[in-house]
Amino acid sequence: MHYFAGIDIGSTAIKIAIVDESGELIGDKISASGSMFYKYAKEALAELLSELDIAQESLVYTVATGYGRKLFKEANEKISEITANAIGARAAAKIEGAQEIKTIINIGGQDSKAISLDSEGNVVNFAMNDRCAAGTGKFLDVVALKLEIGVDELGEYHFKSQGTPLSINSTCAVFAESEIIGLLGNDYSIEDIVAGVHYSIARRIIKLVKRVGIKEGIYFDGGPALNMGLVNAIENELTKEIFIPKYPQITTAFGAAILASESYEYLEK
Amino acid sequence: MTRKREIESPKEKQNRHKAMEAVAMLDKIRHDFSEPPKEMDYFYDLYERVYCKRESLHSKSVKVGTMCIQVPYEIIYALDAVPVRLCNGFYADDEIGSDLAPSKACPLVKATIGQFSSGNFSDKPDFVISPTTCDQKSKSGAIIEDMGYSMYDMEFPRTKESEESREYWRRSVRKFTKELSKNLGKKLKKSKLKRTIQKIGYAQYLYHQLNELRREPNPPIFGKDMFLVTNAFFFDKIDNWIEAVERLCEECKHRVKKEGKIHKNSPRVVYTGSPPVFPNLKIPLLIEQSDGIIVADETCSANRLFNDMVSVDEWFLYDMVDAIADRYLKGCTCPIFTKNYDRIRRITDLVKEYKAEGVVYQAFAGCQVYEMEQRSVLEAMEKEGIPILYLESDYSPSHLGQLTTRIEAFIESLKNRRRRR
Repeated sequence: MHYFAGIDIGSTAIKIAIVDESGELIGDKISASGSMFYKYAKEALAELLSELDIAQESLVYTVATGYGRKLFKEANEKISEITANAIGARAAAKIEGAQEIKTIINIGGQDSKAISLDSEGNVVNFAMNDRCAAGTGKFLDVVALKLEIGVDELGEYHFKSQGTPLSINSTCAVFAESEIIGLLGNDYSIEDIVAGVHYSIARRIIKLVKRVGIKEGIYFDGGPALNMGLVNAIENELTKEIFIPKYPQITTAFGAAILASESYEYLEK
Repeated sequence: MTRKREIESPKEKQNRHKAMEAVAMLDKIRHDFSEPPKEMDYFYDLYERVYCKRESLHSKSVKVGTMCIQVPYEIIYALDAVPVRLCNGFYADDEIGSDLAPSKACPLVKATIGQFSSGNFSDKPDFVISPTTCDQKSKSGAIIEDMGYSMYDMEFPRTKESEESREYWRRSVRKFTKELSKNLGKKLKKSKLKRTIQKIGYAQYLYHQLNELRREPNPPIFGKDMFLVTNAFFFDKIDNWIEAVERLCEECKHRVKKEGKIHKNSPRVVYTGSPPVFPNLKIPLLIEQSDGIIVADETCSANRLFNDMVSVDEWFLYDMVDAIADRYLKGCTCPIFTKNYDRIRRITDLVKEYKAEGVVYQAFAGCQVYEMEQRSVLEAMEKEGIPILYLESDYSPSHLGQLTTRIEAFIESLKNRRRRR
């Protein structure tokens, strides 16, 4: 049996997905990127293979993607995360029986993207945030830390918000943090602040989506897609339902793995 | 974790956006400054009720929406209807309006169009009056009429010196009175019109009383609070407004006398230009956050509403209507007029009477007349030796950094001037 790996080395986490010859997801792993991308990525891959009981030789083709893709020398191929994300999203939606995907929203650790696809799954247009971490996963980390709650609790707080969500207007994560400190100083509830943060991220991401055009069949992935409060905010801003895959963090790695199997097949022919 | 809430409708989304803006502005107004007058609570609370909780104030009355300051409130009140001024300061509505008007149009006009297109009002107007003052307002009247609103174009002249323009405008006001009275099915009565002229005159008197306290070396009230007070006249119940300002006046009279109070060292500023309308009070707020204090203004959302009273010779119906027409034309210092020396005179007078040390001139990006008149006002101020800062801004809540720096530098330069004297 041959196996194929997609390895997505992001700014915050390394995501690995392994598929078999039929393109089915066999296993996945998420670990922190830390300070040594290459070392941790290699270790994580070795661990995953041993967990799944797959011999090194059975892994015949690896595709790397994400910011750290160029560091991963063992990879047979390197592709941009935009292509990998598009392939992964369409495949995941198909497996889960969702509508065909035309638009992808991705929020990562240090960037956010909107990708527009045609009916064949080709990327027709995409937009990314400008050199700034506002409205990304890192921003949520900073907020949670300041509010002394866990990142995974943000969703709950969002739904407990009773008042008007508070406006966070700063475009910069550092200034936004000081805005939040100001709001705390005026005795606003953490719930309303959290809802405000989600809406500020949502409005920023909607601007990106508008740039590429909003087409129904909207897919949201990246770690922040686990935050149902943020999902709610984005849906409200779009006034449209969006599809969240079962494992939103590994979509891009899954896409890279599928591409690995396709490349291998093509080269073997 | 599963999803919990239904997706908002576009209307709910718009309301949330507006409430978020209103809360953010009210928060700054209330918390970034020390010790506002206690009686300001009435106004803080009013804005919260109307713009955050969407409370209707006039559910039982016929409401006449006005698109500009030039629509005579006296006549509307005398016909048992309530005027509601629809000049809009919300960025959320500006964004909606940007799809219907050129993106470079004035944000106030775009925001007004945006609100009409959403049809989302806490007090929805039964009739709308659009004076043909500036080009963008005139054209927006037609756009709004196409949306199915009952719209009346009130013709307004572009000069005010000539006898022809005076007669033209008087005829326009008479025609408006007749049309409105027909539409509302009410007859205009002499005694009633006299009473409303007196009531609005009393509101104007109260404003002047309060305003004159700002001439003191220690002004008792911030400009940002005064903008809230005058802005509330757009939509509040007039009797409540009068009572609230009476109380505020009394309190401010005492505040002036208190020693060692807040603003003695703050440079005194006169504010002029495109009208700040809640929640777009960002420039007045930046001035006062930078330790300036606005002691007077020349804008149509504040001073121009109250500055001139109707002056009646004989209390006969037609004399009163003509007197009302004259007050709205002759007192107007809007830059839509061909020549506008009155405005320069008014600003210069305000600077002298209120002992101001500088002028801040704001023009909305896209408000051509204010942009064009900038030059003549700047030259006139230079001649008088009055420092002036010209700013262009829109409704967008971000990118405040550059504006802040410019305003801070201006206030600092005023402080330095004071020291050198």
